[in-house]
Amino acid sequence: MKEPSIEEFLRENKPVVPDDPTFILETRRRMAEVEGIKGEVDRQRRYGRTVLIITLVVGVVIGALATALAFLFPIEPARLTGESFWEGVRLFLDGWKYILMPAVAVSAILLGLLLARDRRSAELL
Amino acid sequence: MTQERFITLVKAEQESLRRFLLALCSGDAALADDIAQEALVRAYVASGSFRGLSKFSTWLFRIAYNCYIDHTRRVRPEQVPLEDRAALRVPSDDASDASFRYQALYQALDRLPEKEKAVIALFYFEDRSIREMADILQMPSGTIKYHLSMGRNHLKACIRL
Repeated sequence: MKEPSIEEFLRENKPVVPDDPTFILETRRRMAEVEGIKGEVDRQRRYGRTVLIITLVVGVVIGALATALAFLFPIEPARLTGESFWEGVRLFLDGWKYILMPAVAVSAILLGLLLARDRRSAELL
Repeated sequence: MTQERFITLVKAEQESLRRFLLALCSGDAALADDIAQEALVRAYVASGSFRGLSKFSTWLFRIAYNCYIDHTRRVRPEQVPLEDRAALRVPSDDASDASFRYQALYQALDRLPEKEKAVIALFYFEDRSIREMADILQMPSGTIKYHLSMGRNHLKACIRL
């Protein structure tokens, strides 16, 4: 009589999976939990992005206005005493106008990149 | 991938996936189902990145195998060299002895290294091709054949038919 080979033994004794009707229900429950976590992460990411965009927009607008002001209305520092608030502001802007321009440009570029990435993510979704 | 589409695909694969993990877990059905659930959660989270380059089932089995490997790394039992273990006696073909036959099979599988256990389970229990096994286990075909041959030899030494 031929001895059964290990291959035959393995093929004839496939493990039997116990029937478990709750398996798919458990999978659904875990998927719902995952959806909840994903929703919360998305909400927080959207909030962070919104705050960043608002900050950059405000930075760009105020920075651009200040730079425009400094260039459109040049001042003679010698004639300003800097005693009043507005004179102080004008003196400050005049002193910092060449720093403000690159800062505004960087903010604008960052804003552009952020919005472009958001649009790409939205398209992928 | 929508939740319903994912569930539909999982329903078609769940028995096969659970059997594969049951063999890897040497008959511990509760542990196998826990790992299966963990694998399904990981697969669902990553389902957005599934581009259909391989079959869904291959992709799912790969995730499940990785979950199993992660589990074994967390809980590593003491390994006893194969040579030190006595051969298991498999009862006759009588149907009443089926549970003992499974017990002997699981005990023998428990003695195999993970890779050999995985190739034996995929090849003999899931009827997977060498190429599919190479995709699932992320190994070259030659390595799969080597582990298959080694696994068979080790099982022959462990099980007396």
